[in-house]
Amino acid sequence: MLKFFLTRVALTLPTFLALMFLTFIAIRLVPGDPVEVRVGERGISPERLAHFRHELGLDQPIWKQFFDYVRALLHGDFGVSLSTNAPILHEFLALFPATIELSFCAMLLAILIGIPAGAVAAVKRGSLFDQTLMGLSVAGFSMPIFWWGLLLIMVVAEGWGLTPVSGRIDLIKFYIEPVTGFMTIDALLSGQKGAFADALHHLVLPAIVLGTVPLATIARMTRSSMLEVLSEDYVRTARAKGLSPFRVIGLHALRNALIPVVTVIGLSIGGLLAGAVLTETIFSWPGIGKWLIEAIGRRDYPALQGGVMLVSSVVILVNLGVDLLYGVINPQIRHGR
Amino acid sequence: MTAFGFSLSRGARRGALLAAAALLLGTTSLSAKTLVYCSEGSPENFTPAINTTGTSFDAARPVYDQLVLFERGSTKVIPGLAESWVVSDEGKTITFKLRKGVKFHSNASFKPTRDFNADDVIWSFERQWKADHAYAKVSGGKYDYFADMDMDKLLDTLTKTDDYTLVMKLKEPNAPMLANLAMDFATIHSKEYADMLDKAGKKEQMDQQPIGTGPFSFVAYQKDAVIRYKANPAYWGEKALVDDLVYAITPDPTARYSKLKAGECHFMIAPRPADIAEMQKDPALKIINQSGLNIAYWAFNVSKPPFDKKEVRQAMNMAIDKAAIIKDVYLGAGQAAKNLIPPTLWGYNDAVKDYAYDPAKAKELLAKAGVTTPLDIDLWYMPVQRPYNPNAKRIAEMMQADLAKVGINAKLVTFEWGEYRKRAQQGEHTTAQLGWTGDNGDPDNFFFLRGCSGARAGGQNITKWCNKEFDEMLVKARSLSDPAERAKLYEKMQLIQKEEAPDLTIAHSVVYEAMRKEVEGFKQGPLGSHHFKGVSLK
Repeated sequence: MLKFFLTRVALTLPTFLALMFLTFIAIRLVPGDPVEVRVGERGISPERLAHFRHELGLDQPIWKQFFDYVRALLHGDFGVSLSTNAPILHEFLALFPATIELSFCAMLLAILIGIPAGAVAAVKRGSLFDQTLMGLSVAGFSMPIFWWGLLLIMVVAEGWGLTPVSGRIDLIKFYIEPVTGFMTIDALLSGQKGAFADALHHLVLPAIVLGTVPLATIARMTRSSMLEVLSEDYVRTARAKGLSPFRVIGLHALRNALIPVVTVIGLSIGGLLAGAVLTETIFSWPGIGKWLIEAIGRRDYPALQGGVMLVSSVVILVNLGVDLLYGVINPQIRHGR
Repeated sequence: MTAFGFSLSRGARRGALLAAAALLLGTTSLSAKTLVYCSEGSPENFTPAINTTGTSFDAARPVYDQLVLFERGSTKVIPGLAESWVVSDEGKTITFKLRKGVKFHSNASFKPTRDFNADDVIWSFERQWKADHAYAKVSGGKYDYFADMDMDKLLDTLTKTDDYTLVMKLKEPNAPMLANLAMDFATIHSKEYADMLDKAGKKEQMDQQPIGTGPFSFVAYQKDAVIRYKANPAYWGEKALVDDLVYAITPDPTARYSKLKAGECHFMIAPRPADIAEMQKDPALKIINQSGLNIAYWAFNVSKPPFDKKEVRQAMNMAIDKAAIIKDVYLGAGQAAKNLIPPTLWGYNDAVKDYAYDPAKAKELLAKAGVTTPLDIDLWYMPVQRPYNPNAKRIAEMMQADLAKVGINAKLVTFEWGEYRKRAQQGEHTTAQLGWTGDNGDPDNFFFLRGCSGARAGGQNITKWCNKEFDEMLVKARSLSDPAERAKLYEKMQLIQKEEAPDLTIAHSVVYEAMRKEVEGFKQGPLGSHHFKGVSLK
């Protein structure tokens, strides 16, 4: 198991290096540097431009900038944001809990609905439920997040008044001091009556929007994986032994069917963070998605590089976790068979 | 009845609990009036001197004052932290009498021990002005507006004769200086707070947890989520009429509109032009508008033939169907411009007659100027959206089609924004679109764009037009302190500019503000700023 773990960890290193290099180069290929981009019609005098470029080290050869960046990164220094002058790590840690909270709820929703729905569809293959579910999952999978979010806001929040439009808490009723950065937890800690329920209420729409694509994927994957497993010999054997249908499906079939589903969940985390960029914008959700988009606009090199590195670390770690989880679910994998 | 009684008592219980919790936290109570403003984005920080965006200025505005202020809803300069001033020495010395008894706010780490005085003013300017100032390099230390308004070139000395008398000496007379001092970058900070933070080794806090003298004091800020302020009961001037002010940061305009409709905010910035008609029909909302303090123009490079000929430039003005551009590109959020300055600005000459759309006459003028058609020119358009121009490319395409009708082949050209600006200022184009957003509501802040000093290569006057008569009046107006006299000169200058046609003035944007009906007392100003003192909730 240790060898398996170490091999997987070692394999992530080249990914990190490639990412570091690509992000560094990609943002510099976008025209306009951080100094010029904040200048309006008036322009900037060549002396002032040269002065600020020098202060930011942008007048150095690109390879030197890269090595300086890598060196700082190895010392755990992500730099400071060029627009706010706050340390990148500090900004990231202040915003990331909001993204985690939203992504976690979205994924929870996707798993809690997707797996049982997929399993039932497989068992009742060809039924109306199965056909409806598959139809919905195609719709869910192909729906543009932006459109879906705005539609839900207009119908559910504005039209029926069932949920708030956007934000994380009712700003008029509650003043929640950020302690953990997770609004639901902070609302509980604040002890203000109704705050926790209000925070959950604010989570409903964004979680549905963000959870839609993974929900569709998980449901489809569970269904097809279940169908495969249900025709296996050991399932037939289990049935022949006279086990109850619940034990056959729940214990023997579903557990084995979950392996590809876990892969899909792991892979969805990356997609989830990408979806968070749009969802956060629509729902005024103060997470890292919105922060990264703004960093591109401002050519905030350190924020963008640091942000991408940190987000990718999370995605890579989650995938590593998924790899390790296979080992737990299926011992054959960890033994390399 | 029971149900009603129950819900009432539950509501009351909840109210009492919340009020108790709020009291414990030292913040809001339910009976308090809270105004929620759906703003567009997060501020870079709370010190306007190191910022350049309207979003950041709006965020700092409730907290601070300047020596002089723009009257709410106009660009008229009125007394602020200076209660009066005298201009002497032929316009080169301004002596300010400062207001007494003005209190700074306090926060968890700072309680002011003295009132506002001249030291605070000197500190606030020297931070931007003197490279060896203790705070010069704090938070990036880029003082763009101070540099852009040429403050370092204009200021000679700034000294106090006593705690409440401040003498500002200029290197040359400059009438727009007072308007500069009302701008956000000229905000006055507490020197006492700065010194305390310096000693504690926390200088950055100066720009993140602002202490000012303004109508609201700063309470808390969560990036990308919310900024909270509370009314400053000790404010010296026009008071806040709500207890709490909340900026709910909502970047998407559609989401802002939804929140406004749902009552989650009372006021929103920048509604989408496409939503305006629907908003105006909603009885729960109130929509106001005003032309923005900006101009979109199409500049002709007079240093390149055939644009050295006045007739050719006039012909261009007649060849373009401006009304079609306003209708198709601005979608109701634009107003045709006949002058360089918008009609809301003092000195605007309404007697100026714009060129009518007349392709036949344009052709005639071109022939008269000896231009043989087809004529090839280049037509530059900005690669970015600007407040005064929602789609420069589309405008260029429409102009291209109009020009083809008079025998001119316009080649559309663009560059990356920084490069575009640089090349246009160098005068590499034959014709180019650009524009301007006013800084301080002084006409000089627009007309300098056509002055001779900007016509050099690399200068801001991208028409490279240098008219002696126009320029003399421009320079003279700077040295006069009487606005009426200055206005007369500006009115004449507009006539010259229209006749000489170094440019085609396209449009001023129209800025809309949307709020709920219960919001009262908001005054929209040409500078596009949002002030919530004097604003109440019915």
